[in-house]
Amino acid sequence: MLRLDINKKFEPLRSCVGMHKKLHDHYNFQIIFEMATEPSASATPVKQENGVASAAGTASRFDQLYDKCATSPPGTVFFQRDLSALQVADTMEELLGLINGLCAQHLLKQLLFDNEPCWKLRDRREAEKLRTLTPDEHVLYQHIDQAQNEGVWSKALRAKTNFAQPTLTKCLKSLESKDLVQSIMSVKFPARKMYLLKYLTPSEDIAGGLWQNNGDFDMAMIDELSNAARQKIEELTCVRVPAKWNNYQRSERAAAIAHKKAHVLGLRDIEDGAPVRPYKLPVHGSSTRLVYKSNPTYPTATTMAAWLNGTDVLKGKVARDVDMEQLLEMMVLDGRLEKASAISYRTALNINDTKTLNGFVDAPCGTCPVFDLCADDGDISARTCVYFGEWLGTESEEIY
Amino acid sequence: MSYTQHETPALAELCSFLVQDIYGELAARVYSILARYGRQNLNQLVRASYLNRRQISLGLVTLVQSHLVFHSSRVSPVTAYEIDWQQSYALVRFGKVVKSVEDRFGKNASAIVGNLLEHGHTRIGDLKNALFPPQNPSEDYGDEGTNGAGAKRKRANGTNANGADGKVNGIVNGATNGALEEEQGTGAPDKMYLKTVDEFYDAIHLLMQTGWVMKVDEMQYLSPGDYHQVALTQVLDERWNGQMPSGTKDKGNVKKDLCQRKRNIRDAWAEPPQFVKTKRNPNSGTYEQSNKRIKINGTHALPSSGGGDNFDNAEDRLPIRINRDKIAVAMRTDQLVRLAEQRLGTTTARIYEIMLREIESQVPRCFEEWPDPPPDPKSAEPPPPPPTYLVTTREVELRTKDFDICEGLDPQAVSKITGRSLDRNLKMEDPVDPADLGQYQRFELIHAHIDLLSRDPFRFVTWHSGSGHSEWQIEFGEIAQRHIQQEIENTVSARKPQFGLKLIRALKKKGKLDERQAGLTMMIPAAEIRGVVNDLAVQGFVQTQEVPKVERREAKHSIHLIWYDRQRAREKLLHDTYKGMIRIIQRIAFEREKVQAVLEKAERTDVRGNESRFLGRDELDMLNSWKDVEERLLLQLSREDDLVAILRDFHGALISS
Ligand code: SF4
Repeated sequence: MLRLDINKKFEPLRSCVGMHKKLHDHYNFQIIFEMATEPSASATPVKQENGVASAAGTASRFDQLYDKCATSPPGTVFFQRDLSALQVADTMEELLGLINGLCAQHLLKQLLFDNEPCWKLRDRREAEKLRTLTPDEHVLYQHIDQAQNEGVWSKALRAKTNFAQPTLTKCLKSLESKDLVQSIMSVKFPARKMYLLKYLTPSEDIAGGLWQNNGDFDMAMIDELSNAARQKIEELTCVRVPAKWNNYQRSERAAAIAHKKAHVLGLRDIEDGAPVRPYKLPVHGSSTRLVYKSNPTYPTATTMAAWLNGTDVLKGKVARDVDMEQLLEMMVLDGRLEKASAISYRTALNINDTKTLNGFVDAPCGTCPVFDLCADDGDISARTCVYFGEWLGTESEEIY
Repeated sequence: MSYTQHETPALAELCSFLVQDIYGELAARVYSILARYGRQNLNQLVRASYLNRRQISLGLVTLVQSHLVFHSSRVSPVTAYEIDWQQSYALVRFGKVVKSVEDRFGKNASAIVGNLLEHGHTRIGDLKNALFPPQNPSEDYGDEGTNGAGAKRKRANGTNANGADGKVNGIVNGATNGALEEEQGTGAPDKMYLKTVDEFYDAIHLLMQTGWVMKVDEMQYLSPGDYHQVALTQVLDERWNGQMPSGTKDKGNVKKDLCQRKRNIRDAWAEPPQFVKTKRNPNSGTYEQSNKRIKINGTHALPSSGGGDNFDNAEDRLPIRINRDKIAVAMRTDQLVRLAEQRLGTTTARIYEIMLREIESQVPRCFEEWPDPPPDPKSAEPPPPPPTYLVTTREVELRTKDFDICEGLDPQAVSKITGRSLDRNLKMEDPVDPADLGQYQRFELIHAHIDLLSRDPFRFVTWHSGSGHSEWQIEFGEIAQRHIQQEIENTVSARKPQFGLKLIRALKKKGKLDERQAGLTMMIPAAEIRGVVNDLAVQGFVQTQEVPKVERREAKHSIHLIWYDRQRAREKLLHDTYKGMIRIIQRIAFEREKVQAVLEKAERTDVRGNESRFLGRDELDMLNSWKDVEERLLLQLSREDDLVAILRDFHGALISS
């Protein structure tokens, strides 16, 4: 699991530094297909080859080399010179022997970089599982490994390996049950089952963006983060005004004018121009309420992504601008936000607390499940209607 | 044919109910025949019903006088009758209209409007005589028994549509107009409005000047089809020797001329006539026809055939009626203010109301039915820009003296404008009375409100020109479209609270989507979408389409697309709303039926006014709860009517979504 986080962290580097990019990019490595070996026999041949050292000594040498390698950051790629620099083996021959041994035990994974062999460390537990694979499974495993976090489609696997479908299914099942590979539904092609190594995070292409998990939207996470974003945007674009914030004494004159106006209204001379109707004057708002800020800096997907990444709610994951845009646009759809301009957002205020929608749907018929069946008379009609009865608190006609 | 003249079965049913409620059984019977069979002449009507010729004629007279029915006597030898759906539907908003007019022009004007609505049309002189009976008012008051038509007299005393008939009252007016009803009780002698004949004429002039009242013209009786024919004949006779030209270009020109002709005829109706202003004496020169009531007119199709032209000036002879276009304009103002209030709060909405009312008198109608050039679906040219109506901040400021314009704004902005500081809790350390502020500061404050209006996604106002006290314009067409969309969204989210709104908006934004794409946009699992889509498709708010990928049409190998068409959704919702209104009217009838016996008792002349003495406890309770129920239902009816206005009356057909 750790390793994948590292991969993530390295991501920015990939795009800017040429050499590093190559080093860390799986696609530039050619995977050397390891020999499928019988699990039981895996360790023994090595020992025999290294006749010089005692069995116990060699074994500990293996461990030594492995442990030393393990001190480097996970995912490091070792070239031969790197390994010899660790000074575990005395001779090159011995070193190669150790390396071969570790490879055979699946503790090292051999790769080629610019035709130069190099190695990567494998987790011990994983190596152990690998040793239990059948040759067929092993071939599959390597194909899947090669696809890395892009995953490989089961049909493509079949084409590559020429296995019969039942064998393929059986092997894949077994790999999955050993927790070595995972299968997920592709987001791009929902009918495709994609296989990739268990410890990898599927790439965006197959798993969708930040918000998707295994091809499905992570509803809990979306809920939580959209609420957080809503709150943040409310802070940025609205201001909560306290009750009676401008509690002035109405001057006598103004009060008199208003009073007179209301009084005169009925008798007002009609040529007086457009009238002012008696109006319930909102004298100093008596409760706190939200109003839009007068000079807001409207948030955009970019600023909101930066904000989100600045908090650590995402636990190591990174929200890109496009992820944030997707979320904010969705919130515009469900009415929590509204567009302030083409790229910026603000809170959608609904001043009334009471939910009145429109004349039609606030009446029983507007949301009536039997609206289309309701007729002028008969079993379902305004006379017999239970919904009206409930709404008005009156009796409806009984139907038998 | 006009977009708003579309007729649906639900509308026909609704209108039949309204006519029956207000004009009674006979008129309703004739009306429903016309609703069922469409355009008919008298003979056809007689054949289609069990009524005899005399009865049908009587019914038709009522319908024609109230402008509920068009007739073709001007253009064809055999008169054909046809329903005016717009006018029929408008029956439901009579109460609202009276209220609107009162809001805008006071009670003098609303009393006149009430009368005009009730009668369809009347000559100015007749209306005057009805409102200012030439004989001694107290005498008139005393002759209840002989007159025998209490309702008639009451009307003559200058009340509104309310008083004429219990039924009018019940259906149009009950909920919205309580205040006015109270006035009636106080009786004519010390009424609060229309005290002098001069006031009466002033109110009439004001109403004509602002376009609320217009002349009656024979052409108004023509159905849209006949109207079209007449205008076409006129155009062809004048410019094309009575022949339809054959070239495409010429045809285009005819079309253009035709639209212009239609506009011209119509605009002439609302042209306020010029009358010499004279001082009048209510009792001079009109004694001869002291017993004349407006009602006399009611039995004649056209006022000119009324009982003798004995008015001595042209003004009194002029027949007038309400201009329906203006009603829609006023309703639009009210609905927009309501919307702004929901989104931005009372104070800002109040500013918006002032802006809208400021330009209302310049706005003749919500949208042009016969635009210039005529709409051509083939041409790529955008339609001509609608007329612009401008308001300046200065004009607004003049009308904001009586309320607190600091409210509803960001305190920081107010603090900056007024130069007073805020404490930590955003409270004014030194509270400021907006009435004491200088003009410049008041401009700034109003500006801040207008700014809120212009930043709203509805774009309630748009900056037009000028700095400082800028000029603002209101783009009604755009706003109306968003408004329609909003109501559709409201409806969908009430019906499908979970994902309905999101789906509609996603489709509106992205066009046609399949389930997976819709899921991605809405960020929900695609599987959740199917249910919502199915329900909304059944309700007619979204459409689905299957596009086969292979030759055989197989569900598995097809792409299933979902899309949303605003115009279709709009029409569906409008239709549903009509149906909802029918159900409310039916429920009112049912509820009334339940208390019928008590109601009849309560309306007996000896019981009236002495209810507590003659009615038992539970009878009183029943009456009271019936009143509550009725009021509630009428209020809802009126709110559904608001929705109809938004959906139907503020914007022409929406071409694409
Ligand atoms: S009257 Fe009742 S049953 Fe009929 S549509 Fe309305 S709510 Fe539904």
